Amino acid sequence: MTIPREAVEVDDAILIERSLNDPEIFATLFDRHAPLLHRYVTRRLGPSEAEDVVADTFLAAFQQRGGYDRRRSDARPWLYGIASNLIGRRRRTEMSLYRAYVRSGVHPAELSGFQVEDGVNTLAVNRPLALALMELTPADRDVLLLVAWAELSYQEVADALAIPPGTVASRLNRARHRIRQALSRQGDRP
Amino acid sequence: MNELKAMWQAIPPASPEELAGARQRLLRGMRPRRRVVTGPRLLVAAGVAAGLVVTPLISGAGTSAYAVAKSPDGTVKVTVNELRDPSGLEAKLAEAGVKADVTFLGQDTRCAAPRFVSVDRAYDGAPAADVSELRSVVEGSRSFQATQVTSIRTIQISPEYIKPGETLVVEFRDNRNSNVPWRLGAWLAQAGTPVKPCTPVEDTP
Repeated sequence: MTIPREAVEVDDAILIERSLNDPEIFATLFDRHAPLLHRYVTRRLGPSEAEDVVADTFLAAFQQRGGYDRRRSDARPWLYGIASNLIGRRRRTEMSLYRAYVRSGVHPAELSGFQVEDGVNTLAVNRPLALALMELTPADRDVLLLVAWAELSYQEVADALAIPPGTVASRLNRARHRIRQALSRQGDRP
Repeated sequence: MNELKAMWQAIPPASPEELAGARQRLLRGMRPRRRVVTGPRLLVAAGVAAGLVVTPLISGAGTSAYAVAKSPDGTVKVTVNELRDPSGLEAKLAEAGVKADVTFLGQDTRCAAPRFVSVDRAYDGAPAADVSELRSVVEGSRSFQATQVTSIRTIQISPEYIKPGETLVVEFRDNRNSNVPWRLGAWLAQAGTPVKPCTPVEDTP
């Protein structure tokens, strides 16, 4: 399949619009965003689920592209919103990843050969973080990780999850508070 | 927050190889009826026209020689890490519902042809004269539709393209190259016809 050169240079909204007549152009959106989306999903669910979630996200996006709001030039909030739903359906996998990490200190991506940790100090910080992530509500966790790991802005998170920016702020405050608590508990230990 | 941002930050963005399977699924989903000729399939085409296919592989320690997994969509994913135990791989494929004849070949060898009667031009038809003819052979050959290279070490078998009684004949050749450890040929043998055992013959480039 040949993707026209110009397709690489236009913004996501134009790509999505063009893909309505020329579906193959949608693959450019995949090439643009799949690597980092895969990384985000790997952090939350591990590498074995990531490929499925990424494929399902883009397939769902492709089906729904007719309803895309073309004023949004960056498709990331849309894509990460779809992915958040799919991750939500795999809550058990996510919880057991955090639990296993707390127990073993090993993220499953490391088993695939990636260096994930820097050392003992990292582990001392990450373990309480993993515990705190487990204790958050799914809605709070989505907001927190979209900001911290997917690097979306408040407004982008609001777009992704279809919630008002005020709700993003309050969920984020609550989640951050939990995270700070978890880290200070850790700091109290000898 | 910075601590959280740094958590598992060393996990890298996915490589094209890691995304090949997902991309393939998207392409299929985008064109449910007319199948799109993708890079890997053209590779298959070019390779088979010349006899064999190039597939790079990174072999890791501690992995099993091969693995067969059935996907919910009915396709069968085969991972080949090492060229050993062909009958074991055949048995695994049979469990997944694919009647296959698997051969692992040493470097610079091929199976003496013909071993079987192919369902299409992919096996022993006249070589394609040019790229457009090659493309039409690819699009018109169930052998290519039934087996696709999906990532650096996996192939995907689509049983929907295999008719009852047909045998999927696959030949892997050791390439003695850590980046491209094996090459693959894959074809369909007609139902009710035998597939002769492979007689390896020298095949130097």
